[in-house]
Amino acid sequence: MNTPIDDGNTHLRYAEYVLGVLDADARAEVEREMMASDAVATTVALWQRRLLPLGEEIASSEPPAYVWHRIHSQLGLNMPSRVEGSGDAATRKPGLWENLRFWHWLGLGTSVLAAACLVLLLLPSRQPVAPTAVYMASAITQTDGQVGWTATVDVGHGRMVVVPAKPQAIAAGRAPELWLIPAGQKPIAVGMIGGSAPTTLKLDPALLAKLGPSAALAVSVEPPGGSPTGQPTGPVIAKGSIGASPDAARGQPVTLLNRPDESVRSRS
Amino acid sequence: MPTNRTVEQEALDRLLSQTAAGDQAAFAELYRRSSSRLFGVCLRMLRERGEAEEVLQEAWIAVWHRAAMFDASKASAITWLITLVRNKAIDRLRQRREQPLDDPALLDDLVDDDPSPAVGAENTQEYRRLRECLDQLEPQQRRSVREAFFSGATYNELAARCKVPLGTMKSWIRRSLLQLRTCLDT
Repeated sequence: MNTPIDDGNTHLRYAEYVLGVLDADARAEVEREMMASDAVATTVALWQRRLLPLGEEIASSEPPAYVWHRIHSQLGLNMPSRVEGSGDAATRKPGLWENLRFWHWLGLGTSVLAAACLVLLLLPSRQPVAPTAVYMASAITQTDGQVGWTATVDVGHGRMVVVPAKPQAIAAGRAPELWLIPAGQKPIAVGMIGGSAPTTLKLDPALLAKLGPSAALAVSVEPPGGSPTGQPTGPVIAKGSIGASPDAARGQPVTLLNRPDESVRSRS
Repeated sequence: MPTNRTVEQEALDRLLSQTAAGDQAAFAELYRRSSSRLFGVCLRMLRERGEAEEVLQEAWIAVWHRAAMFDASKASAITWLITLVRNKAIDRLRQRREQPLDDPALLDDLVDDDPSPAVGAENTQEYRRLRECLDQLEPQQRRSVREAFFSGATYNELAARCKVPLGTMKSWIRRSLLQLRTCLDT
């Protein structure tokens, strides 16, 4: 089968794989071949060596500090989690954080709280423990008693949407960072959040397991790339407990808010 | 192909090998030295900060678990790392149902993409070699190869973006790859 012509075409598939133009199925097939054959793996490696230097043209960009903290906690490493960045933290563009479609969908922040609560009330209450349809919410209140942000957690998809109740005044060159504080424990970085637009944050299972009525959320003011130490370094400007939505007094959502947590905790 | 690795590349090779042995300090140092390059790749390909952060995190989890598969005789550590990150980013791109081609900002980016940035002293010998060979391609074909590499788009998506038939795009890229191989291997 290794006639010269066939050889050329077959090898090109490996080049196409490295370049990145194959669809998901074709990629999976090449990856299976690489596992099965050293010759294929070597051919792919040769193409990587030929083409990957093009990556040198891509501008470096310092990732936010919390990415390392998440890697550190996901792997359960036991060394200190502090890693000094290698420099240009200022390359961050906060605008990309902001999910415009969601913002527009929410009606530009009018009655954001009502929208967040609506999500809760629309949940199928007949199956409150189904882990795929579980939401938690928190109103993160500023020191002046006003709600600063609302956080809604979609447990099934491991996501949290954090919506500012109104545009927040944050000092220039600073950005709000969200923290999860399990009862009696040190704060855990959740992510940078928008001061004037909603942010969607991915929650890993370790973090999800720590969410619950005994945990609190807090917002501190940090450098744009996030706290360099893994702990809040700036002033804490807002705090809230999970499940303490303004509708808590009405009773019903609280059941929804608290019960899902049990199913979460049992996984940890 | 000769490999002339720089001092920094050799340091990364060592750190990755130590990571394979479970050395957490080496892993942290490897992250410190190379994560901004890898994050640049994620941002360039995914064009969405939140997703880029997720893919970067996934990639580093995989680095920790797969470091033992690194073979310094086949590739340098930075090539291995960029390959891993690109693969994660491409997987993520393929999971997206549709490409946001109607996003005007994205189209601007494509048009503005500088097809031939200056080659600086900081570039490796391998890169300069590749650039010489790329410069010998027809401009249209060179642009297709570059766009494919940087965007991680499929043949179908590239053909749609460049408004050419799928067969044309395939033949541009395949011809380019053959020409690059001949140029680079001689």
